[in-house]
Amino acid sequence: MTPAGQMLLPVLVLLPLLWLLPQSIHSGGLDLLLQFWLAALQPSLDPQVLLSALRGLGITLAIALWSWLLSLLLGCAGGLLSSGLVSQLLWGCQWPAAVIKRLLALPRSLHELLWGLILLQLLGLQSSVAVLAIALPYGALVARVTADQLDALPVRPLEALSSAGAPAWSALFTALLPPLWPQLLSYGGYRLECALRSATLLGIFGLGGIGADLRLSLQSLQFHQVWTSLWCLALVMLLLERVVRWLQQRWQHPLASVGQRGRELVALLLCLGVLLIPSAQLLELSWQQIGTRWQWPQALPLWDIAGWNQPWLPLISTTLLLTLLSALLALAITPWLLVLLCPWKGCRPLLQSLGLLARLLPPPLTALLMLFVLKPGLLPAVLALGLHNAGILGRLLLESLDARDCRASQALQLAGAGPRRSLLVAGFNAVARGYLSFGAYRADVILRESVVVGLVGAGGLGVLLLESLSSFAWIDVVPVLVVYAVLTLMGEAAADAYRRRLLQGHLPLEGFKPAIGP
Amino acid sequence: MRSLLFGLAVLLAPVAPVLASEVLRISAIPDQNPERLNRLYGLVASELSDQLGVKVRYMPVIDYTAAVTGFRRGDLDLVWFGGLTGVQARLQTPGALVLAQRDVDARFRSVFIANRPALQGLTPFSSIDELSKLKGKRFSFGSESSTSGRLMPQFFLAKAGVQPKDFSGGQPGFSGSHDATIALVQSGAYEAGALNEQVWESRLKEGKVDTSKVLVLWRTPTYPDYHWVAQGNLNKRFGAGFTSKLQQALLNLSPDQPRQAQVLELFGAKRFIKAPVEQYASIESVGRQLGKIR
Repeated sequence: MTPAGQMLLPVLVLLPLLWLLPQSIHSGGLDLLLQFWLAALQPSLDPQVLLSALRGLGITLAIALWSWLLSLLLGCAGGLLSSGLVSQLLWGCQWPAAVIKRLLALPRSLHELLWGLILLQLLGLQSSVAVLAIALPYGALVARVTADQLDALPVRPLEALSSAGAPAWSALFTALLPPLWPQLLSYGGYRLECALRSATLLGIFGLGGIGADLRLSLQSLQFHQVWTSLWCLALVMLLLERVVRWLQQRWQHPLASVGQRGRELVALLLCLGVLLIPSAQLLELSWQQIGTRWQWPQALPLWDIAGWNQPWLPLISTTLLLTLLSALLALAITPWLLVLLCPWKGCRPLLQSLGLLARLLPPPLTALLMLFVLKPGLLPAVLALGLHNAGILGRLLLESLDARDCRASQALQLAGAGPRRSLLVAGFNAVARGYLSFGAYRADVILRESVVVGLVGAGGLGVLLLESLSSFAWIDVVPVLVVYAVLTLMGEAAADAYRRRLLQGHLPLEGFKPAIGP
Repeated sequence: MRSLLFGLAVLLAPVAPVLASEVLRISAIPDQNPERLNRLYGLVASELSDQLGVKVRYMPVIDYTAAVTGFRRGDLDLVWFGGLTGVQARLQTPGALVLAQRDVDARFRSVFIANRPALQGLTPFSSIDELSKLKGKRFSFGSESSTSGRLMPQFFLAKAGVQPKDFSGGQPGFSGSHDATIALVQSGAYEAGALNEQVWESRLKEGKVDTSKVLVLWRTPTYPDYHWVAQGNLNKRFGAGFTSKLQQALLNLSPDQPRQAQVLELFGAKRFIKAPVEQYASIESVGRQLGKIR
């Protein structure tokens, strides 16, 4: 099958979803849904509401910024230590890197929300919980990506420097940093966007920030207040995405004068540095507390066998089904919308704003909105997860379409092909591999995220986890976490295998331009 | 090098000690919209601060579990808990004290509501046994740890022989809040649900319920619910007799003074009364029966 065909194939997921639709639809909440969308035009401008939203937004941003910074530091260190190349150079053998790589899979295996809920128990109510909850899994992820990139770099320059007698570390920096640097910059920007989304989600589960306002006002049906928070968040998210994209594009190509990129980078770091102190104050962040306030719950029955007595088969299969359907849906939406709407001029702005909206609304909130017109069950959960991730994947698709070489499609159009045909043949075929490989990566993320839509009654591991946490039943919490971790690691391996086959040995990064480009 | 030093300075900034005089940190389980919560607890904080002469700070918490955890860890000094969360918090925090409850809290109730069009055969009933008619229906509780939206309704359902797995889909839903329960039952997403009677009555009064779509099936017998719980070490931290002064301040809130009247109105109470700690024994035993207290 052509790559473009593979890209359109996931639409088959609509068959089971459409089959589920008639039995799960109800029209009783249409007026509520209508009220929700109408409220978008009149967000509450009450000073109290606005102030609370702005404060929440500040906290969310501060959490995102600090956790992002920490994750990059952890990730670079972890990446160096888990790269076979570096290990070979420093210690003369590869096994330390392999061990560290395995160890780093553990923090990665749990969703940041689960880290947040665990750390909340261990560290108490403080905002460093949210920062650490994001920094740990993200750090491990960045480490993996860094190590993969390092090991994929050509080793000749390094060998040349080493054999010329350069000390190990300086040889490493001189030979590897220049080719790695732009890739890491680009990936780092993408991680900041992810950190903002994660910080919002953590707020929904009580770890501070604008997520709290969103959830409480939506649950009490104060739609005008919901939109106050949503508009603020949308503005910040859009701005951040634009700035990151602009910088990535600017630094991808050599600039006019030598050293300009370096100077701009230092300026950017200074700006960030100036932001870091007030945001630490806003969070009342204090590293001492992380060290001193560590407290293990009393009588934690880690190895008690009783907690393992759960109906694992239905729990796991529901979770996996949810993941699979959502991932396919997320993959299918944007390409099909593009194909259907592309002759129309307003197609791109429409898709862009729909995508922003989908990324903006955290899945648990979308799930609640879905319940206004759908009966509880698998369908609202799949739609909530699928739409949110379609927003993320869709943006990558649109950007990679922009970044590709357009001569082929121009040639096709000059030869008289319609916009659809030229999009399919020249556009989709060029970007399909990159898109599908992001999709595989995203499926892996969705598996981690499936815990957050437990509330719509779709079942699965997430429901069990939230229920046992609210009963402070550690005996049940530990097994669920272990099962989650195992599932995620297996999912990660499967996604990797698929991506490797797709790209034949070359592993690109998500949110990472050169991999999708021509 | 200079930028490295600068970076180090930035990273170490949060290590600077926080100069903290003793602050009384109050909080509440989140059962209302944030705007109302902020308004209410802002008022409570300034009222208590004026009366007691200490700094009072409202710490917003949006998750029941997080509120209990914060109290156990000593991050919160005085919390407005629900019945179940209060018992959970006191069991996990040695020395914690119940200070007060509202006049309505000693005799609290839940209501079971149903979607009229979906359950046309169902009419309001007065015998608990008829709850068994809810078997096989789509049913939603409120929040997992809510006393009036989950614990007591589940207890009465069990008395009538209805287990959570008897509902359609093999499990009940958790809408997350009382308002969401009303909305989801009214819309028909769920055919029936249970919630706090006080919230139900006030939404009825505000005209926010479409009674042509939702009806009350049954009101539960009474049980004790919300209460103020304080840490046991307040006298040590704020001076001898502080806890009883704090309790008096709560009990003395009167509708004659404008700010206090506002507080009482936002709480939906005429006044606060002493809360005998024994009354929560029943909540604890129900909590243990249903596995919410281990």
